[in-house]
Amino acid sequence: MTEAPCIRVSELYKRFDMLEVLKGVSFDVHRGSVVSMIGASGSGKSTLLRCINHLETPSAGEVYIDGVPLGFQVDAAGRRRPRPRAEINLLRRDLGMVFQQFNLWPHMTALGNVIEAPIRVRGMSRKEATALGAACLAQVHLEDKANEYPARLSGGQQQRVAIARALAMQPKVLLFDEPTSSLDPELTDEVLTVMRELADTGSTMIVVTHEMRFAREVSDRVMFLHNGTIEEQGPPEQVFGAPVSERCRQFLSKFIA
Amino acid sequence: MSESLRQSLDLSLFWEYRTVLLRGLVFNLYVFLCAASVAITIGLGAALLRINRAWPFRVLGTLHVEIFRNAPDYIMVVWVHFVLPLLLSPILGWRVEFHPFVSAVIALGFVYSGYYAETFRAGIQSIPRGHLEAGRACGMSERLILWRIVMPQVVRKMLPEGLNQLVSLFKATTIVSLIAVPDMMYQVSMVTAQEMRPIPLYTGAALVYFAVVFAVAQAVRLASERWRQSIYA
Repeated sequence: MTEAPCIRVSELYKRFDMLEVLKGVSFDVHRGSVVSMIGASGSGKSTLLRCINHLETPSAGEVYIDGVPLGFQVDAAGRRRPRPRAEINLLRRDLGMVFQQFNLWPHMTALGNVIEAPIRVRGMSRKEATALGAACLAQVHLEDKANEYPARLSGGQQQRVAIARALAMQPKVLLFDEPTSSLDPELTDEVLTVMRELADTGSTMIVVTHEMRFAREVSDRVMFLHNGTIEEQGPPEQVFGAPVSERCRQFLSKFIA
Repeated sequence: MSESLRQSLDLSLFWEYRTVLLRGLVFNLYVFLCAASVAITIGLGAALLRINRAWPFRVLGTLHVEIFRNAPDYIMVVWVHFVLPLLLSPILGWRVEFHPFVSAVIALGFVYSGYYAETFRAGIQSIPRGHLEAGRACGMSERLILWRIVMPQVVRKMLPEGLNQLVSLFKATTIVSLIAVPDMMYQVSMVTAQEMRPIPLYTGAALVYFAVVFAVAQAVRLASERWRQSIYA
């Protein structure tokens, strides 16, 4: 494949004080593919996702978006310099993120949440952004909730607004950090349905999840993390059907009812 | 009915002098508005210092809060008006003198900035980290996050307490008569010196302050309640 990968993670390390959470993780994500990251709590999968858009600054290693390094730049003399925070902020526009806790801004309506960044960061006119915002809300089936405040929405609806907010930035990649972990089973389904639809329309997605059925049915590749490294990865049929790693087998056995 | 009670309820003297007294009240309002702007601006600045990542800024912010929050406003007004010029004159090399109005605004503004700093800090720290991270993830700058995501929520959360502080500040403006700012209390004591009938004048002043504070505070509460509550479930 000649095209640069949409996301390239190279030799990523992350340490919090004495605790080494990521121990040299590398992988590529190509345009249009869906990657699920699974693993036990504390395996480093959420930290890895947060390092990809530098919400956590990696201790070592690099992340490239379409070949552009996020954490550093090369100056005229060919030396690597850490990229200023302001620039990282701007580059992050291309990575949409959906959080476990939704993190909608409670003082704005659903539509307000969705159009805030397109207006303030992309510099869109309010009219343009509103049209885009309405389309994004329609994509998550919430066109009728545009003027509701988050406090008046259910958890599943809030998470779908959060997805619409990420979509409105027209990102190259969508990052999902356990998007259904704080939802009831019924509400989980409405969020997963939206995510399936996004995957079917060719969105590039990296999903940290405990929803094994989703990982198995929707993703092109599954990565099993253990102790800060990728212990096992491959197409879902392989990881779920015939895992090589003993730890992966143990982990998955807890999910097969 | 006792004579003094009858006298205190007979406000005709207050009414007689209404123009000069109300002109005094307008002065109270001037002092209040200017001091409140100073208090809120400096208070926000001090709060941002207190939560800064770099410790020298944090120390500076804490110093500001502790000094001004623990200074009696009465003493600050006198100190700024009479002592500060004596300290500044030799440093600057010319004779510094503050207009009483300026001294009053500086003194009250700084004292109340100490309170506002704490209110702002508590408000800012109560915003969940995730709201900031969501902003960053959308490519927003820290400044945008502060003004578009943090402050609008902080203002809603701190409104009741902030309003109480404004009420205190308005009441504190009465002490500026000390340094001859011609506010209502100043006019009351002037008229009292002439008429020798303090009871209706002070009663009238108390009633006017009460009416203004009560009416305005109540109106603000009523008008803001729905807007304030929209962020809660």
